[in-house]
Amino acid sequence: MISRQMKIDTDRCMKCGFCMSVCPVYDIDHIENHVARGRNMLVRMVREGDLPLEEDYRRCLSACLLCKRCEAVCPANLSPAEITLDARNDVIEKMGMSWFQNFLYKGILSRRSLTARFVGLAGLIPGLSVKGGRPLRHLADMASFIPGALSLPRFSSRPLRKRVSGITRPPDGVEEKGKVAVFPGCMYEYFLPDIGEDIITSLAKAGFTTVLPDGLNCCGLSIHNAGDYRTAGLLAARNIEALSSYDHVITGCATCGSSLKDYHKWFKEDDPIFSRAFEFSKKVSDFSEFLVKNGAMPGAFDSVPMAVTYHDPCHLRVHQGVYEAPRDLLRAIDGIKYIEMENADSCCGLGGSFGMANREISLAIQAKKMESIKKSGAQAVATSCPGCMLYLADGVRRNRLPVKVMHISRLMRGDGKIRK
Amino acid sequence: MTITKAIIKDLHKILGDKVVLTSRSDLSSYSYDATSNWQGMPEIVLFPTDVSRISRIMALANENNIPVTVRGAGTNLSGGSIPVFGGIVLCTTRMNRIIEIDEVNLTATVEAGVVLNDLNKELARHNLFFPPDPQSFLAATIGGCVSENSGGPYGLKYGVFKNYLLGIKVVLADGTVIPLGGRTIKNVTGYDLPLLICGSEGTLAVVTQATVRLIPMPEARQTVMAVFNDVITAGAAVSMIISRGIRPAKTELIDNWIIRRIEESAPLGLPVEAEAILLFELDGPAETVRMETEKVVHLCRETGASDVREARDNKEADNFWTARRLGFSAIYGNAPTAMAEDVTVPMDKMPELMKRVKAIGRKNDIMIVTMGHAGDGNLHPCILTDKKNPEHYARAQKTAQEIFDAALELNGVISGEHGIGLEKRKYLKKAMPSEAIELLKGIKKVFDPKGILNPGKIWE
Repeated sequence: MISRQMKIDTDRCMKCGFCMSVCPVYDIDHIENHVARGRNMLVRMVREGDLPLEEDYRRCLSACLLCKRCEAVCPANLSPAEITLDARNDVIEKMGMSWFQNFLYKGILSRRSLTARFVGLAGLIPGLSVKGGRPLRHLADMASFIPGALSLPRFSSRPLRKRVSGITRPPDGVEEKGKVAVFPGCMYEYFLPDIGEDIITSLAKAGFTTVLPDGLNCCGLSIHNAGDYRTAGLLAARNIEALSSYDHVITGCATCGSSLKDYHKWFKEDDPIFSRAFEFSKKVSDFSEFLVKNGAMPGAFDSVPMAVTYHDPCHLRVHQGVYEAPRDLLRAIDGIKYIEMENADSCCGLGGSFGMANREISLAIQAKKMESIKKSGAQAVATSCPGCMLYLADGVRRNRLPVKVMHISRLMRGDGKIRK
Repeated sequence: MTITKAIIKDLHKILGDKVVLTSRSDLSSYSYDATSNWQGMPEIVLFPTDVSRISRIMALANENNIPVTVRGAGTNLSGGSIPVFGGIVLCTTRMNRIIEIDEVNLTATVEAGVVLNDLNKELARHNLFFPPDPQSFLAATIGGCVSENSGGPYGLKYGVFKNYLLGIKVVLADGTVIPLGGRTIKNVTGYDLPLLICGSEGTLAVVTQATVRLIPMPEARQTVMAVFNDVITAGAAVSMIISRGIRPAKTELIDNWIIRRIEESAPLGLPVEAEAILLFELDGPAETVRMETEKVVHLCRETGASDVREARDNKEADNFWTARRLGFSAIYGNAPTAMAEDVTVPMDKMPELMKRVKAIGRKNDIMIVTMGHAGDGNLHPCILTDKKNPEHYARAQKTAQEIFDAALELNGVISGEHGIGLEKRKYLKKAMPSEAIELLKGIKKVFDPKGILNPGKIWE
């Protein structure tokens, strides 16, 4: 079969341009080095010494969502995302990181207690936090009304760990089916802890004793994607260790799921941790994937009557190949009329730091998504990724659509209350 | 540098800042096409979005003697869209509106930057079909296809771009905008200027819009794969099928080397000892397709195929065709430089050409991998080499030349669908009488007196 070495061998790119037919970024601006073929060539030119390593090159490398759509159509079986990542790693090794990257990756994200304190402090700022002062409550969202600006996620002053106990058991009368560990990820831990609660509650209602293990770290994806393989590998190793005693690891975050399932790819095959990471990856399931696989859906949940559509996160559909399970779940919820929107699998436009570095393209991709949502006529759009949620919510405000954005687990609360 | 700061300022004024690229990484990204042995840096890359802007750019370039190379997706295989003299790369990819699909007269009018596959996706909604199918159809633009007169596997049954072109809108070198041709199938008003532009590789005018003929979508399709122990037998099978009045939509040939590479990387269960595989696609009314499929299967067996398989469903058909596409990627993965040649001979001379190509490879000690459109005599011998190894590269070029000679001897041509571009310009003299080349130059002069449009292409 095809080795990783072959998958990242830019010489094997025959420049057929098939990637151009699926790339969300090229679709917007039609610029050659914003699509796999062009980046493959740039990386090749830099490696062969025909082009210098410079800021301009770094900029071209940043213009990739890493959505991996191109991988599926590449006749040469290349992995352009891996090529881009390795090139970013090269850049970091040789040119260093920006002070902001250093601060964020090495200073904050790789130190859990510091992350907690940092977010806790930020959560005290009225207007930037979930429980902030009323007049400024939506300060974090204000950017949605400024052309080109990126709205911030709202910090929560009470993280998930302060809201739920370490172990949540199935409610009375529900037969216990097993025990699972939940990996909440930074977003559900610090920014959207109420979704973390929903996920845990839903799993418990479905009969699973749900543990929120100690010692978890950031999944490391944003760090890995920036090209800082060392720090990312460190976090992966810590998470594998912290979750070693569980048979099932469930995450409601498409991004975390894609990295947990891919941890082994972050290490060289001769690294002793490779096989551990590979075994670990088999225990990981997306929230919807797990519930559907365990038959824990029909009738178990109910919600207020409304028309709901679903947005496929790239990290779930393209990276993990999971797309039927969330739809099955939604269809099984009493009161929900499920509507499939056109281009449900098109990107929301955020792509993590891509959205920060490439505002204009990012907003153009978002606008296309908003068209699909609007056309569907749904009252709510459900999804499985906190990044997508934030950016869809940003788009909904920006375009003044009468649509609520929510994590799929929010629809399973069954309390009839739909909060944004 | 032919482009001064003042000119860049003027270009910005015409286009606005957003669609003007000048950084080193950006320019490098427009220095190549889909060939692996040619490169040339532009000085500026422009993305006009309408005809009037192209007109103003051309007027400015003409006045200042700046070379202009028009480029679509840059998937061409001749070096044709490479700016060897620097200057402007005029990229049409942002002019991508489908202007009209006329379901009554069966025509479509599109802007130059529309991607071929996007047009066919839209046409499918109307149950219509535009057959010319260069294998870069997922990215190739209509403007590029018109300029290269592109074709593909569908060539034998359905023809190539020129067979569908009714009218175009062009911008001349001095900025003049004119429509050429029309919207009717019959049209003998003066010289056929759209046909002159079609295949002129961007050397005569900037194509900004095209009106093409459409056909109804065939009702059914069936893929058949036949395995042969030698190439000659495979060729005989194709001749037999065509002489019996069957016109497969596609008849593709893959050689043993590719079969082995496919089985190594993404196994499809092909017999690795087989010398050649033929892939057929039959299309048309369901009943006809069924009958023709039977005949093709029968004729392949009768001529000596060791194995014949009908694709059971679309998925299996896709797998077979993936094998064909994988062929090219295998080639590019196995050599730093791959020269994808494009010789074409009368269909019945195909086995002879393949035999000679093999002998030429052996004689020069050069690896040649062969794929081809067996039905229309269009062969793609790919010469595996390394342009950074001068001795090997020289032998590869000698090999190419001998392949061209062989094709010409067999009453063929040196390029069937890729074009001359940079790749074959030094062989043009062999392939065409010098008087004819003078005519080409004369025509060029009339269209582009200062020689600013895609200079350095077709002839030396």
